[in-house]
Amino acid sequence: MSDEDRIAYLAGDDDAAPDDRAGLDELRDLLADPTLWAAPPAGLEDLVAAAIASEAGAGAAAPVVPVSARARRTPVAWRLLGVAAAVLLVVGVAVSVSRRSGGGGGERFSMALAAPAGAPAATGSAKLQRTDSGWRIQLQAPGLPRLDGGRFYEAWLRDAAGTLVPIGTFNEGTDVVLWAGVSPRDFPTLTVTEEAADGNQASSGKRVLTGTLTG
Amino acid sequence: MTIEPGVIEAFRRGDDGAVRAVYREYGGLVFAVAMRVLGQRQLAEEAAQQAFVQAWRAAAGFDGDRPLGPWLATITRRVAIDIHRREARRAVTAIDDVPAGHGALVTLPPSADAIHEAWAVREAVDDLPPDEHEVVRLQHLEGFSHSEIAERLGVPVGTVKSRSFRAHKRLAARLGHLRGDDPP
Repeated sequence: MSDEDRIAYLAGDDDAAPDDRAGLDELRDLLADPTLWAAPPAGLEDLVAAAIASEAGAGAAAPVVPVSARARRTPVAWRLLGVAAAVLLVVGVAVSVSRRSGGGGGERFSMALAAPAGAPAATGSAKLQRTDSGWRIQLQAPGLPRLDGGRFYEAWLRDAAGTLVPIGTFNEGTDVVLWAGVSPRDFPTLTVTEEAADGNQASSGKRVLTGTLTG
Repeated sequence: MTIEPGVIEAFRRGDDGAVRAVYREYGGLVFAVAMRVLGQRQLAEEAAQQAFVQAWRAAAGFDGDRPLGPWLATITRRVAIDIHRREARRAVTAIDDVPAGHGALVTLPPSADAIHEAWAVREAVDDLPPDEHEVVRLQHLEGFSHSEIAERLGVPVGTVKSRSFRAHKRLAARLGHLRGDDPP
């Protein structure tokens, strides 16, 4: 069977079916699979950039060792590196435990926020800390324009099933403190919506910021 | 698809421009892999975001002489499977009430080989010239005939046929489905 026949079969001409077409059939199936063509939402790039910037700003990056430098190391250097890595691991675990459970508070997380697709450009960040009273969430989104006159922002935590838990309302996004009675481990997505005092307690769906716990 | 070594070095430092450059090069591929494992856009968004963050955390150990794509695909698959397992544990609803596409009902995520194959196909499709990409998309994803594609694009059927042939020849050659040695 010629390559022309194989190409024709791949392009949908069943009359040109070659004898050994299993691989071509797999490729045809993949090309017809909607997940292969799935495109990410427009706002995902900002969320990724904001999440990494948030962690980079917190100094969470592992030390960068150029590959060329690693390649020049001798076996002795590797052994020393192993010892150093073990020490760093122990220190790292201690620091991690301290960050998550010590220091006068409970677990702590940080989260980057960005505008979803179709919303005006905005970014923000949130620090979440577990306390005996619940989760204290400090939100910084100074780029959000102030809302007044019966209009306000409302923050929510959302789980993977889409269940929303309201965690507070505010007028502008500088040093906002919110409280949640559910864990961000179970409700990992924080959204901020624009609302009106119209008696409707449900979310308006007008999302201005969103972010998901990545830890 | 290639990323300059300098961009990878800047990515390791968390440089915003480099992070965005890597995302623009691989964001579609990462999202497609996440969709393939999870089947839901919201979960795939979460997985794609986590995959890039984890790639950044692990970037110090990445060998810049190796291609970035397969490494990212492996990270994305691992992250997506973790989310898949989390969703499976979360399933407390009566099974008849769960939507058919729910992640908890997908019993086995695709194998690493299947993910890398899907990644390679997506990468090859993304590298097609735009006019050929659109013909392949309409033909395979939408199920349109050549004449329907011609009508939709406002071009002669012969043009659609030649674009389709060229596109599938590129795909078959790149993905190793031709017997000839020379790619087009």
